[in-house]
Amino acid sequence: MNSVVVLILGLVVAFIGYRFYAKHIDTKIIKSDPKRATPAKMYMDGVEFMPTSKNILFGYQFKSIAGAAPIIGPIIAIQWGWLPALIWILAGTFFIGWVQDYSSAMVAMRNDGASFGGLSHKLISPRARIILLSFIYFYLLLIAGAFGNVVVSTTIALKAAPMAWLFLTVGGILAGQMIYRWRKDIILTTVVTVVIAMAGIWFGTLAPSDKILGLDLANSRWLWAIAAFVFCYFAAVLPIWRFALPINYVASYIVFLGLFFGIIGIFILHPDFTLPAYTDFSIRIGPIWPIMFVTIACGAISGWHSIVSSSGTARQLENELDARPVGGGVMFIEMMLALFALIIAGTIYASSAEYGAAIAKGPGGIFAAGVSKFLGALGMPAALGRSYGSVMMIVLAITIMQLVIRFMRVATSELLSDVSPVFRNPHIGTFIACILGMVLVMTGWWQYLWVLFGGANQLMASLALLLVTAWLMSEGRSAAWAFWPMIFMFITTIAALLYTSFNLLQKVISGAVKGEALIGNTLMGLVGFFLVIAALILGAEGMKALKRYRAITKAQVASAAKA
Amino acid sequence: MSEEKKKKGSFFGAVKEFVYGVAAHDSARFALKSRASMEHLFILITMGDMLGVPILPPYYSLRLLPYVVPQISTWKRRMLKEKDLTDGLA
Amino acid sequence: MVPISLVKIFDEFPDRRYIMFGGKGGLGKTTFSAATAYYLAKQGKRVLVFSVDPQASLSDIFKKDIFGKGPTEIMPNLYAQEIDADRRVKEYQQEIRKKILDMYGMDKIPEEIESYIQAAAAEPAMEESAIFDEVVDIVVHGGYDYYIYDLVPLGHALYYLSMASVYDEWIDKITNLRQQMREYDQVAAVIRRDKELDEDAILNELLYIKERINKSSGILTDKQKTAFFFVLTPEEMIINDTLKAAELFAKFDVPLSGYIINRVLPRELKNQHIPEYLKNRIVMQDKYLKVIDEVFKGQILASVPEMERDVTGLGMIEKLAEKMFY
Repeated sequence: MNSVVVLILGLVVAFIGYRFYAKHIDTKIIKSDPKRATPAKMYMDGVEFMPTSKNILFGYQFKSIAGAAPIIGPIIAIQWGWLPALIWILAGTFFIGWVQDYSSAMVAMRNDGASFGGLSHKLISPRARIILLSFIYFYLLLIAGAFGNVVVSTTIALKAAPMAWLFLTVGGILAGQMIYRWRKDIILTTVVTVVIAMAGIWFGTLAPSDKILGLDLANSRWLWAIAAFVFCYFAAVLPIWRFALPINYVASYIVFLGLFFGIIGIFILHPDFTLPAYTDFSIRIGPIWPIMFVTIACGAISGWHSIVSSSGTARQLENELDARPVGGGVMFIEMMLALFALIIAGTIYASSAEYGAAIAKGPGGIFAAGVSKFLGALGMPAALGRSYGSVMMIVLAITIMQLVIRFMRVATSELLSDVSPVFRNPHIGTFIACILGMVLVMTGWWQYLWVLFGGANQLMASLALLLVTAWLMSEGRSAAWAFWPMIFMFITTIAALLYTSFNLLQKVISGAVKGEALIGNTLMGLVGFFLVIAALILGAEGMKALKRYRAITKAQVASAAKA
Repeated sequence: MSEEKKKKGSFFGAVKEFVYGVAAHDSARFALKSRASMEHLFILITMGDMLGVPILPPYYSLRLLPYVVPQISTWKRRMLKEKDLTDGLA
Repeated sequence: MVPISLVKIFDEFPDRRYIMFGGKGGLGKTTFSAATAYYLAKQGKRVLVFSVDPQASLSDIFKKDIFGKGPTEIMPNLYAQEIDADRRVKEYQQEIRKKILDMYGMDKIPEEIESYIQAAAAEPAMEESAIFDEVVDIVVHGGYDYYIYDLVPLGHALYYLSMASVYDEWIDKITNLRQQMREYDQVAAVIRRDKELDEDAILNELLYIKERINKSSGILTDKQKTAFFFVLTPEEMIINDTLKAAELFAKFDVPLSGYIINRVLPRELKNQHIPEYLKNRIVMQDKYLKVIDEVFKGQILASVPEMERDVTGLGMIEKLAEKMFY
């Protein structure tokens, strides 16, 4: 099949989904009302609650949800063949993905902009809140591990990446100084620092890491894992405007431009898929159901989005009508991003064997090769394109990673400062988060880590949908459109997590793994089981709440009939 | 003609806003967030006797009151609001 | 014991225009304030004597109701004023309310804001701050050669002084915070390419408050312009308390000009036929006068006898002034 057909298919699904299905839900069930005051307007504080134009929020939501996951997921999932992946990306987004993103923004908006913790407390049970929050902590740890792995494998696979990454960091720090210290004009700042980052991409091809550090160091997982976590450490403990924010700022231009021109490149080259449409029901990481469904994480449905939607976007939407384009529309864009990744993985290699050799080195190399190929259609030299793609991959992974580490630091001080005041020290919390993440990166096989992350991520999504369903039922609205996706995601992810954890721990118990892998398997397996248990408790509490709501609705209907 | 021009202008305006949203919106939001947490500290210090902690002479804190009227309700809501781990993420 | 004369002090330091009498309650600070005002007015100086004591009694001394009426002429060049703190607080509250209504175009003060305004006014410290603030008004307004404060009892003045430095530090910190907030505002403006920001009105208010607090505490501690007199009586307890207070005052840099002894029984009584009781009192006073002489060597400015009756009305004030200024 031709890649342009895939893109067009994506556009058709997006159009129907957005224009008809989403519109139907928005007008008929949610009954969005442009006259209803949104939390952004009601509680406007010029900060968290601030009415913001939908175009800005569109960009904000896109930036916040388009991390590495929608790209890496399809690259891995194509191991089952591109067709199942394609179907799941399209169907997942259409039936579940946008539903979650949109409705979690909506439920927060209709509940005074409450966050998920507060909502689960209110709609499900007080205990649900604590479980949900500890669930989130481990979920974040898995993100740090999975994305850390991506950074490490990408820097090793592409020797130009370290120098480009370094330049980007320098450009970002400079941007921070220019914006926050010197208060230079933002356009000047942007031009100067983006040019520095671009220069780094070029310089990386001239000064690859193996030439500078020698092959041993350039291939050392330890070195790059430490580099990644030191980076995150700085991002977490330094004032956010000196490091994390400005680097993200510069990086977003690099990523945005790369995606934009890359997609144009696809249309120019319009290659055919070279990999098989379907390989096997079961591959090394597991069977197609449930494992593939969690592997393609954000491209189809992602719990992360619900956090962005509810805690961030919902507090800024100035009009209820904007929830559909921002919450729902952006998910369809994300779907296109996943298709872009699928096309890369499915078209750039001549054979399955070539792809197999590439995926063994990690997804970063594949992505960079794809970016190089499609930017090449616009005249960019291949080496430069690879360098560009590698930086995009690193940036996409590390922006989320440092956010996660920073956040785990806060969580550590909140959860453990009662145990000992030591945990209030930001360095301690960051250190713990970095060490835990580091252990995962160094000891866990990255594909298992990815599956666990995907499982946790989509379990998060089903919990978000559970909240949405509870809210819909508490309001007496029709809830099937959120309820069934929730059930599907819940069963699928529990199965995936159980399958993977069981596999991991079985190898530990049977003594099949030793050394690093022993630690990694044990840790990953336990985290997986913990997530399953937490999810089951939440699910049970949620079902109880749903029953409660159904009883109330029935009683209301009955009393209404009597009257 | 002018209609068309306006449409074109609003399209570029939308693109500009989108790019701003992608690149800069969270930086600006963060600057304002830091500012707001300071604002709340400020209200705590100056209007502290609302909580029974007189730090400024009440006579003078009254002088500042008119300026913080709009912030007081947000401040109280913030104080009362349950802090949530997810709040830090977005 | 030969006291240095009060007259000399006033002649020698014409810049010391803020005159204060301190000491424990009931030792005669208010009467001394009145008598000094009378003396200076007679010298042709324009004098305002005012009471910053919520339990002011200038009205009794001048036999004229001046409470809350602003500066009132008692005789040529002599004006007296009793501050009505309660009313000032009420007017001030009203002013704040009006400002809020004007700033936000409201018809009514929001409930929680109103309750805050009322709670703040009920604070005990409120009245004092209001009085001290009015003192600043009076002094800044000018128009007199001398300002004579009838001080609140010592403890309060000291409390106010000690708080002034704390407040000062606080306001600096708050101002810093405000400035940092402003920096973030500017950063946000840079990122969004907004134009210049408005001035921060709160920053200006803070500077104003700082100036006011500094001014009111500054008056108490200005070595060039302030003359502070301690009033004491020849009694053991009073001497000890005065010593302690003087130490504290020194700590807060309040410039002490000297001491005035009050209620000294006339020595000529000794040779008259008087009851044993009175004799013993005189002997006791003699003993403590000696102590005072030793302890406050060279700082005694006047020794004022016990008057035969209450000092009220200009006639008695004149008499007292004659005893003080010789």
